[in-house]
Amino acid sequence: MEPAATLGYLGGLLAFLAGVGGFAVFLDWLKGKEEDEKTTGWHPPQSSECQPGSRRDPTGWQRYFRFTMDHKVIGIQYLVTTLVVFIVAGIMAILMRLELARPGMQFLSHDSYNTVMGLHGISMIVVALIGIMGALGNFTVPLMLGSKDMAFPRVNALSYWILPPAVIILLSTLVTGGFDTGWTAYAPLSVKGPIGKLFFLLAFVSVGFSSIFGSVNFLATILGLRTKGMTLFRMPIFVWGILSAGVIVLLATSVVASSLIMVIFDRVLGTAFFDPSRGGNALLFQHLFWFYSHPAVYIMILPAFGVILEILPVFSRKPLFAYPLAALSFIAIVVISFIVWAHHLFTSGMWDLLSIPFMVTTELISVPTGVVFLSALGTLWLGSIRLKVPMLFALGFLFNFLIAGLTGIFLADVPTDLHLHDTWFVVAHFHFTLMGGAVFAFFAGIYYWFSKMTGRMLNEQLGKLHFWLFLVGLNATFIPMFWAGTQGMRRRVGDFPQELASVQLWISLAAILTVVAVTVFLYNLVQSWVKGEPSLSNPWDSRTLEWQVASPPPR
Amino acid sequence: MAKSIPILGGLTFLFSLLLFKIIWGIGMMPLAASYEAAFVDQAFDGMLKVTIPIFSLVLATLLYCLHQFRAQSGSLEEGVRFHGSRGGLVEVLWIATSLVLTLGLAAFGAKELRAIRGGDQADLDVQVNSSQWSWEFFYPSRNEYGSRLILPKGKRVRFLLTSKDVVHSFWVPEFRVKQDALPGKVVKLFLTPTKIGTYQLLCAELCGTEHTAMTAFVEVVEPEDFDRRMKGEAW
Ligand SMILES: [Cu+2]
Ligand SMILES: [Cu+2]
Repeated sequence: MEPAATLGYLGGLLAFLAGVGGFAVFLDWLKGKEEDEKTTGWHPPQSSECQPGSRRDPTGWQRYFRFTMDHKVIGIQYLVTTLVVFIVAGIMAILMRLELARPGMQFLSHDSYNTVMGLHGISMIVVALIGIMGALGNFTVPLMLGSKDMAFPRVNALSYWILPPAVIILLSTLVTGGFDTGWTAYAPLSVKGPIGKLFFLLAFVSVGFSSIFGSVNFLATILGLRTKGMTLFRMPIFVWGILSAGVIVLLATSVVASSLIMVIFDRVLGTAFFDPSRGGNALLFQHLFWFYSHPAVYIMILPAFGVILEILPVFSRKPLFAYPLAALSFIAIVVISFIVWAHHLFTSGMWDLLSIPFMVTTELISVPTGVVFLSALGTLWLGSIRLKVPMLFALGFLFNFLIAGLTGIFLADVPTDLHLHDTWFVVAHFHFTLMGGAVFAFFAGIYYWFSKMTGRMLNEQLGKLHFWLFLVGLNATFIPMFWAGTQGMRRRVGDFPQELASVQLWISLAAILTVVAVTVFLYNLVQSWVKGEPSLSNPWDSRTLEWQVASPPPR
Repeated sequence: MAKSIPILGGLTFLFSLLLFKIIWGIGMMPLAASYEAAFVDQAFDGMLKVTIPIFSLVLATLLYCLHQFRAQSGSLEEGVRFHGSRGGLVEVLWIATSLVLTLGLAAFGAKELRAIRGGDQADLDVQVNSSQWSWEFFYPSRNEYGSRLILPKGKRVRFLLTSKDVVHSFWVPEFRVKQDALPGKVVKLFLTPTKIGTYQLLCAELCGTEHTAMTAFVEVVEPEDFDRRMKGEAW
């Protein structure tokens, strides 16, 4: 059953890619049609196939549903996909909050709660992975570098088109027995159980390959396709964020992919990597998994730092403070992020003496992170600050990420982590990191670059409403979770003791604010995209190259 | 620049005071019922004492900037650029301070961890067998099993944690220290209960369908009542 399903998925994936036109170029080559070698190589495509209206690259709305090589179209494809996955994750969050509004089980079974919780988790991971890097990065990075397109446009399209089938097979877990492992898929739990878990693993591996393809492309573009005179230390800081995140993706993702593939082998081929009764090792999975999944946090956060440090100078009307130091701190974060993974294993039965070096390295990350804050505050200092919506989100990011970073120190510390690990203290901490951090930066970036993408402005008033509702809702929701966690609220449970009933009800009510906020945002987005006020090509008076072309940029 | 220092200092002090009052007023930690819990709580308080002033300082600076450097609406004014010597000192100080604080915290953490773990000796062994989704306790010295964990107050207990299937985690919030139980391995955990009472043992590692319900009662009794209590419970 499982081997057939695995092969079926792989076959379906290939068929899907063919269906959207992914192999058209090979078919033409087989038929003997000439192909300009430039289109597949290092240089941006200039051949006839990429001219507007050519058979393989149609203009108009159809191209958004095709295997298109224009980085701007791919950026929009990523953006819409991110928002769809974000809505799915939000629905799962609403279900969880309804379930947790009162003690006892309300309308979900323990098993369906696990699936809903796992789907929420992995969906938000996908949002944080592709939101800034895939959507904003694809659209803006080539423009910022003065390049015509990404280095490998076809690989770029491939990295996007792997995602829709992955999302579909992920959602299919809802009807194929679910998965009760959460997004972390710890073995040996992930080796047993319904076929839904296999689908979850396949989806996760697919997303991993998609992001490897994406990162190779970013690295090649950033290192090879900068316009004349743009040295590395003259690049916009956002490009530094993408570059450093790309390095992490390239070095770490293959490790998590291999650990998940080992689980798939244990399930499908009957190997015993993680089965102790047959000589396997259960702890091995956790080491492999976190070797990727801790750096993955920085795959999500470094581009977010980039967005924020890109926006702050524009709305403070001065250059980024300590720019070279900020870029170097990104590199430092990349390096340190590879030697901290075992801070997720302090309670796992790992040797205590090994915990101490990992505690030290983890806490060391606060030094380069502190530099990012210094750079941000130094930029505001003596600035001429304009509180436009992108700036509000950037400032909100600083506030949230301050809480995220400082509470992270409690979890890096072994003695306190022995109590806090796997509690809601952790849940609150990473929601401040990913919702208050990555998602805030994603919103900041959308408000900032929307006019470049569409030629229209987002509504300022609705944007401000979105900002305040979201900031207040987020803090009102997640700050009480720190307390619930220290009191004994475990992670990933659908029920809780009576003593926590009032705080849980409060959290469910506060979460309504964030739902309203996101609704306001989505309304604003759709409304402004269709009939928003036309914008100038450089409405914020920015200095970077993407603002020196028309909005939306010509093909 | 010079006039900002007393303002920032004052605001930082004010915010810190307020936060300390609120957080200590609410009380972050539940009842501490083990000898080890005291060290965890001490470490937690230490962390609060370091992070709250940092939070307050950054927040104060952020608010100060927004108040002081906000442009009039419609203004075309540019910000004041400054580089080099004026910024250089701040950068070095900032990095040096965060480095010292970080290493200090890590050293403090290592010291507390040593105190929590203690030596290898114990007054009582309890074997904890976990499986999807229940706990079972075995007392080798008495050759008795139980589904309820009964512990004598003030005695250092060595738990030998095992799992029959997937990873579970042994956690009594009042005892603080948490430890995973792994299949195919025996993991040791030392705890000394110090307060009489009934607590809940929770499985803290997601272990499948009934993970939520994988709990057991923990009873800490006077050492002289231990024998009697065990007889009533054992099977
Ligand atoms: Cu981590
Ligand atoms: Cu369990």
